[in-house]
Amino acid sequence: MKALPDNMHVLTGSYALDALDAQERAEFERHLQHCPSCQAEVRGLRETAARLAIARAAQPPAQLEQRVLAATYRTRQLPPQAGGRLRWDLRQTRLARLFAGWLAADQSDSSQPHRSVRRSDRGRGTGWSKSWLRSPRLVGAVAAASVAVAVGLGITQVSTQHQLDSAHATSAAIAKVLDAPDARIEAAPATAGGAVTVVVSDLQREAVVTTSGMPPLSASRIYQVWVMSSSGARSVGLLSSTDHVGQLLASGVRPGDQIGITVEPSGGTSHPTTTPVATVPLTT
Amino acid sequence: MHHMNRPEIRAARPDPGPAEGEAQDLAFLLAQVARGDHQAFEAVYGQLAGPVYGVVRQVLRDPAQSEEVAQEVLLEVWRSASRFDPARGSGVAWVLTMAHRRAVDRVRSENAGSRREQKVASETATEYDDVADTVETSLEGQRARRCLDSLTDLQGESIKLAYYGGYSYPEVAQLLGVALGTVKTRIRDGLIRMRDCMGVMA
Repeated sequence: MKALPDNMHVLTGSYALDALDAQERAEFERHLQHCPSCQAEVRGLRETAARLAIARAAQPPAQLEQRVLAATYRTRQLPPQAGGRLRWDLRQTRLARLFAGWLAADQSDSSQPHRSVRRSDRGRGTGWSKSWLRSPRLVGAVAAASVAVAVGLGITQVSTQHQLDSAHATSAAIAKVLDAPDARIEAAPATAGGAVTVVVSDLQREAVVTTSGMPPLSASRIYQVWVMSSSGARSVGLLSSTDHVGQLLASGVRPGDQIGITVEPSGGTSHPTTTPVATVPLTT
Repeated sequence: MHHMNRPEIRAARPDPGPAEGEAQDLAFLLAQVARGDHQAFEAVYGQLAGPVYGVVRQVLRDPAQSEEVAQEVLLEVWRSASRFDPARGSGVAWVLTMAHRRAVDRVRSENAGSRREQKVASETATEYDDVADTVETSLEGQRARRCLDSLTDLQGESIKLAYYGGYSYPEVAQLLGVALGTVKTRIRDGLIRMRDCMGVMA
């Protein structure tokens, strides 16, 4: 069931009522990550659906209460998520500032093909203002990437429990990078369109790779993300085959490594087989 | 540039308005539950067991199975209370979304075969109305019923079949003999109308 993004929005209602099949639910949840207005609508419609449940409240069997209460004494509770709400808000603010600095910096003094802003010199220009940076489309793409980062951190209630657990693990790891005192943003355009944004922490040796606006590929191809160093390349992961976006965590990165993206056969490969369509040096 | 401004992202999200006092109470209780407070959990149980059991039973019908799923959901509330985030919605919605989702998942996994299709073909659109032992409906429940009644027939039927019947929208379309696109639209329009009718949006 291939719905165009435009048709996706109308699914907010069916999604809120759990009336999508598993595949469409997954597709919609992917769409949701990039659609703040859908998120807002889903949230209101969920509250509405809850009232439909309240309208059908029924007396539970008498023994249920004792059974549930007894079970609570035998059941360990989940720990709070790494980074609760307050930290989340803080992170949002930091991230927004980081991106604001990134976008504001436009002193052109070099032809290096990527651009970097670190927390310490946020708002001060650090090179690289190729004309594509000024293009509203690219600015939009980068803004979308930042929203994707935000959404990756925040929107978890929309998933099934299983997806939730893995999303939590990933977003906790990503959150750690964004929270790092030395977090900085590196970014570069991809040769055929789109952009790659990397938030990197040298202290943690981890990087969060976010892409936006990558051109579609044929079904037999996929974008693969790599950490490239002088000793070779290792795979970080694949971008989604449906919308070519993704947010991936690269561990064990060092200053001087590059994040690279290549086009590979759909299952991915162990080594890059094509020239990268984008590279982002992790300068120090 | 404004895309990444946090306050604006926030403004795009509606704040759930209803039963503000009660909702805050529940959020407070859930925070206590997250710290292992059994008494707070009893209070949460008192507030939500009726709607949880009611909606699960509405979807599953079978009392024994409904009890089992309701128990799972309520225990999940205990287990994952620390994951509830009041910034993302009310406690009521958090719990009842979980309850409905679980009931529906149970139906779909069990009826993956042909039994479900036969049921879809034979069931009439009125069956979801026949819940037994509905408790004294709260004011909020009464309001929801009134708002549901104010929808057009097609909106109301679509929503009831999807939510109370636990049918997917293609199944709803089949039951009502209308196009898929029509059902998707009616469900959304109807829910939006209900939302506005109940003042869910602040």
